[in-house]
Amino acid sequence: MELRRTDCELRRIVIVGGGVAGVSTAAALRSGGYDGELTLVDAGEFPYDRPPLSKDFLTGVKDLTDLALQPPDWYDAQSIRLLAKTMVAAIQPSSGTVELAGGKVLQADRVVLATGGGAARPPIPGLDDHRVHVLRTAEDAERLRSALVPGARLLVVGAGLIGAETAATAAGLGCDVVLVDPVSPPLTAAVGPLMASWLHEMHTRRGVTTVQATVEAFSAHSHGLAAQLSGEDAPRVFDAVVLGVGMTPSTGLAEAAGLECDGGIVVDAGQTTSHPAVLAVGDPTRRRVNGLLMRRAEHWEAAQYDGKRAAATLLGATVPRPAAFWFWTDRHGVHVEVVGEMAKATSAVVRGEPAEGGRFSVFGLLDGRVVAAAAVDDSAAVRAARRMIDRGVPADAGALADPATDLRALLRRRPEPTAAAVP
Amino acid sequence: MSLGIRVAALDDIPIGEGLAVDRSVTGTDDDIALLRDTDGTVWALDDTCTHETASLAEGWVEDGCVECPLHTSRFCLKDGAVQGLPATEDARPHRVEVRDGEVFLFPGEAP
Ligand SMILES: Cc1cc2nc3c(=O)[nH]c(=O)nc-3n(C[C@H](O)[C@H](O)[C@H](O)COP(=O)(O)OP(=O)(O)OC[C@H]3O[C@@H](n4cnc5c(N)ncnc54)[C@H](O)[C@@H]3O)c2cc1C
Repeated sequence: MELRRTDCELRRIVIVGGGVAGVSTAAALRSGGYDGELTLVDAGEFPYDRPPLSKDFLTGVKDLTDLALQPPDWYDAQSIRLLAKTMVAAIQPSSGTVELAGGKVLQADRVVLATGGGAARPPIPGLDDHRVHVLRTAEDAERLRSALVPGARLLVVGAGLIGAETAATAAGLGCDVVLVDPVSPPLTAAVGPLMASWLHEMHTRRGVTTVQATVEAFSAHSHGLAAQLSGEDAPRVFDAVVLGVGMTPSTGLAEAAGLECDGGIVVDAGQTTSHPAVLAVGDPTRRRVNGLLMRRAEHWEAAQYDGKRAAATLLGATVPRPAAFWFWTDRHGVHVEVVGEMAKATSAVVRGEPAEGGRFSVFGLLDGRVVAAAAVDDSAAVRAARRMIDRGVPADAGALADPATDLRALLRRRPEPTAAAVP
Repeated sequence: MSLGIRVAALDDIPIGEGLAVDRSVTGTDDDIALLRDTDGTVWALDDTCTHETASLAEGWVEDGCVECPLHTSRFCLKDGAVQGLPATEDARPHRVEVRDGEVFLFPGEAP
């Protein structure tokens, strides 16, 4: 990223939230030459990474210190004042004040909201039972882990990314897992129908029972927690339930400050909110591009890129152009990567054979260009595709479909001058 | 002065890709990834990503960097400097020499 020193009067920046978006903002500010005061406020013990919460942290292979986003001495080395275990209670954009939960007030020239989100809790009767879990924080994961003993009967509600990962992890730990989702197969919009079915059927091959239904109610039962699934005569009984039904963006501070919110904190291409002194990054944000409100990204890398864009805005540097969304997910020992928006594609090209232990990918095409790709155990295919998307390289369906084609060579084809950006 | 270990022919490493050399050959703690940049030059880094267990030799090599095949941590080819999260530690670089189309590795020597 090319950053110029800014000549404006920014001397005090406060970042609210120490997830990957907040920490990336701080890192990019320092590497871009910002030498004013930089404060990072986070509710947790120290800034940590979330993706392992449903994977190696849930199994216990990793502990919380393994999840630290930065080594402990990084904050001092970067002259970042880290206020951990601290909540921001309110921000006042017009006066530049950030109010901490204890009553202390910080002054800021600019505030960056990086508040992430919480696990969604749908209005299902009986949901407040202590055996019903969610998975967003390390505490959530620790609590859930203690319930995932071999033989435990676990109901996972929602078979999207976090639900599927959790079901796979629990099955690996020897739990008896039922995975319920009203949609079958889930994730079709992200990976297309072929890969969505293959991934969903993998649950069955690994001993997870998948049920296409909704959960109508939970109730206490003599042998556990009863869950009534739609279309079934009798409730099923479980030892624990985990909800993986999505995220609720943390927009409270933004809303109370009168910033424009609409299913997320609305930001422009440079991450600035409706108030020029407040920026917002990561999971709770929605970008407005050419008057159109994009959906929330809710992926790790997008949050990191938001941080880089926010830093560029604060430094008065060129803001990197939004790239196609990319994410990974791991389940049952396979590594899945996805880039772009498969739902936009009008045709799909399959490369390789879907098979246990094998690798395959799907490219989504629109108007002769790749707009999306998804791959099982073939990250190089997705890394090539993301460059094709970002550089607007014309697609050759026949060449893409042939596993013998070198995708890097396809990429070296001359891009057309009007490469379309994918927001 | 050591002549290095002959580990590959230059043609064994396609442009933009990598090739892992086993630690039994290099005598190092980790395997070493030979990484061929888009300009054709060959560089060498410890093969295991400093973030999680993944082989950088299977990564995407382009414009002076290698991108990890798991979570896209990027490392500078010439000195192993980490370019951004999720990795926070640099990768260890090793010296490489190409002579007459053969790649020679100097494990543990700075490039
Ligand atoms: C279980 C799980 C698995 C995931 N796996 C993957 C994956 O495999 N691949 C992928 O691409 N993405 C994955 N994600 C998504 C990814 O983790 C998120 O997109 C990412 O964490 C977003 O970062 P963020 O900084 O925007 O928000 P967060 O990580 O939520 O961080 C926000 C921080 O702000 C703090 N905060 C909020 N309000 C306040 C306040 N008022 N005062 C002080 N602090 C506050 C919170 O405590 C939190 O630390 C996963 C998410 C979860 C939960």
